[in-house]
Amino acid sequence: MITTQILNSYIDRIPPAPQALRETLQLLDIGDLTKAAKVASGDLALASYLKNLMNKSIYGFRNEVSDISQIFGILGVSGSQQAVYNYMISLLSPKKWQLFKLNATAFGNLQAELSVNWKKILTHLNINDKDIESSITLLPASIIVSEALFSEKINDVNLLRSASAIDLNTILKRLCGLDLFDICEKVSQKWEMKESVAKIVQASSGLKAQGDESIDQLGKWMHLLLFYTLSKPVFIEAGLNDFIDFQVDYVMDIYDDFNNVIGVS
Amino acid sequence: MRAVVKDGIGIFSPQGFLDGNNGSLFLSIEDIEATKKLNADMLLVSLKKVIFFNKNGLDSFVKILLKVRAANHATVGFCDFDHKKFLSICKFYENDLNFSLFKTQEIASLFASSFKNQQKNVLLYSEDKSQRAAMAIELHDNGHNPIVAQSEEEFNEKSKVKTAYDIIIDNTYLGVMGQKVATRVTGNAIIYTVSAFLDAEIGNTFNIAYHNNSLNVGFRLFIFDAYKVVSMNVHALNFFSKLASSGAEYNATICFVGLTFEKTPLAFKETLEDAGIVFFNHMDDILKNKELLEELGASSAATVKNKRVLNKAIVTELPNFIDATVATIEMMTNSSASKETAQVNKLEILQKENKIASSIGFYGDIDGMVILVFPFAIAKKACTLLIGEETDDKEQILDTLAELVNIVGGKIKTLLADENISVNITLPRTYSEIDSLLEVSHDKKGVQVDLKFDDDRFLFFLTR
Repeated sequence: MITTQILNSYIDRIPPAPQALRETLQLLDIGDLTKAAKVASGDLALASYLKNLMNKSIYGFRNEVSDISQIFGILGVSGSQQAVYNYMISLLSPKKWQLFKLNATAFGNLQAELSVNWKKILTHLNINDKDIESSITLLPASIIVSEALFSEKINDVNLLRSASAIDLNTILKRLCGLDLFDICEKVSQKWEMKESVAKIVQASSGLKAQGDESIDQLGKWMHLLLFYTLSKPVFIEAGLNDFIDFQVDYVMDIYDDFNNVIGVS
Repeated sequence: MRAVVKDGIGIFSPQGFLDGNNGSLFLSIEDIEATKKLNADMLLVSLKKVIFFNKNGLDSFVKILLKVRAANHATVGFCDFDHKKFLSICKFYENDLNFSLFKTQEIASLFASSFKNQQKNVLLYSEDKSQRAAMAIELHDNGHNPIVAQSEEEFNEKSKVKTAYDIIIDNTYLGVMGQKVATRVTGNAIIYTVSAFLDAEIGNTFNIAYHNNSLNVGFRLFIFDAYKVVSMNVHALNFFSKLASSGAEYNATICFVGLTFEKTPLAFKETLEDAGIVFFNHMDDILKNKELLEELGASSAATVKNKRVLNKAIVTELPNFIDATVATIEMMTNSSASKETAQVNKLEILQKENKIASSIGFYGDIDGMVILVFPFAIAKKACTLLIGEETDDKEQILDTLAELVNIVGGKIKTLLADENISVNITLPRTYSEIDSLLEVSHDKKGVQVDLKFDDDRFLFFLTR
């Protein structure tokens, strides 16, 4: 179905981060919001993405925010870095979704929901680290990778899953020895994201403890946040609810805290 | 979301948070229609991966489950929950709990009309006395040995001795049970349990596909456990007469045990006897009489007189059957599979040791059966994707082989549908020993094809 060759070919085809993005990220890394905004404004696609992102209802601005320096000012250094990473991940998404019933807007909404709630969680945990804040941006890459690898195998996947309750992550791991989160890690390496970003996302699979208490704890929060988000009507309709396995036991000890932070009634 | 069906039990597995906003979205109209077609004995929603639910969320599923129950007579409800979730559901539906709750899927399987998991020693407890009795009766009807704890203290005390019981039941509630005719297998006989008043509904509640598949795979003795039948009307009479006539083609025998004729016209008995149905007072009159069992055809499947032969319609479709098998093996192993030799013959297996097999029947525009025979190690390799971890557990590998054959059946159905040939597939059957397979396929001619993937060979046999 999915062979190691297909997988390797996919990984090879992941493009390097565009120059403008790398420059923007470097400037954000040293905290120079003004210059970063100037460079970002020069990339029209990035500028358009940032405007759309900031005007999503989840951010709750009454008036349209359209100036990039204004956007970066509102988001701050870590929020801006996160937004740029979100844009980079969206570059990997397909023009037309087949496996999942998504489109660019719905995928953007997913990114925004994850980002906003991740921020709430990090505030609750008293964590103020721009790389940890950005780690959430890598998580939706697992959805893009699933779409890319399995979209032409929809019938096989459906047939397989009619006989056995097996998720896409497990199928990939058993066939090729690498899972969706391993590929996310490869994306992060290619795009020179910080090592901790990939580690948190690996821990968020619920299957691979990283042996670092703080990273594993963040992985739990991220895992639960993912399934909280994938339980939203729009993402259930998109067919995302069961693309990977939810490890309930893994997150049980943070469940009550999570409900308080996110406001689950 | 589609249900995964195993041993007649369909399971939906939502994940995450289940509330009024999203509950109805887990199942689309197409999902519900597909579910109805599954013809499962039991349809459950697993709460194993649901971390939060409220009544509105459950209501969405309950509404759909009840619709399916009305259409299919299946048992419906929820499974895979802890004590806290069990109490919550009981509280939500305090006066309106008309579906079932099973602590685990394993417990649910004891109450299914499936032919697996029989003769288990089961310790059970429920606070509700009537529930204890209802569960004990259902378990007994399904061929198990229920031990009922009368108090929580007794249950806690007894359940400490875990080795004394195969399964321990608590946190379980039987709502309105499905009205499917319960089925169990004893040796080479199939026992159906029927009860109350038998009327035209028997045509809906009796799984005729399963019965036909049983005939095809070699069962010859069918016993209706009718101790609890009050009476039957002319529609049921016609149904059983037709069932006996259609079974005659296979030299099958149908027996009724424990049926009284206090409220059923005695003339019905004569009609049924004319159709070839035999009556006994007690189950042991048959099951403990080896000579009688042999005479009735339960000792062996080799007594078939009228063998069904391959026909042109089925042989014409042979490439589809082989393609479905090859495509499935390729999908499961990521290797390329190919056909080696083919011949029309009786099933011939030179070395029987360390081999296992699985079969699946199909019926509709054409009918027949596909059998796959694997060396044990090759079966394991073919099932790697479904098994996952390394195992030598024969039962697990057989179960997985059944899933694989089920996928082959699904492919066959799709490929034939492309040619406007409509078929349905039966439940898969597995054989841990080749001798039991040969007993079923004895003297049947079919197309035998040697297939291989990588350098591993296995055998494909298509017959009727």
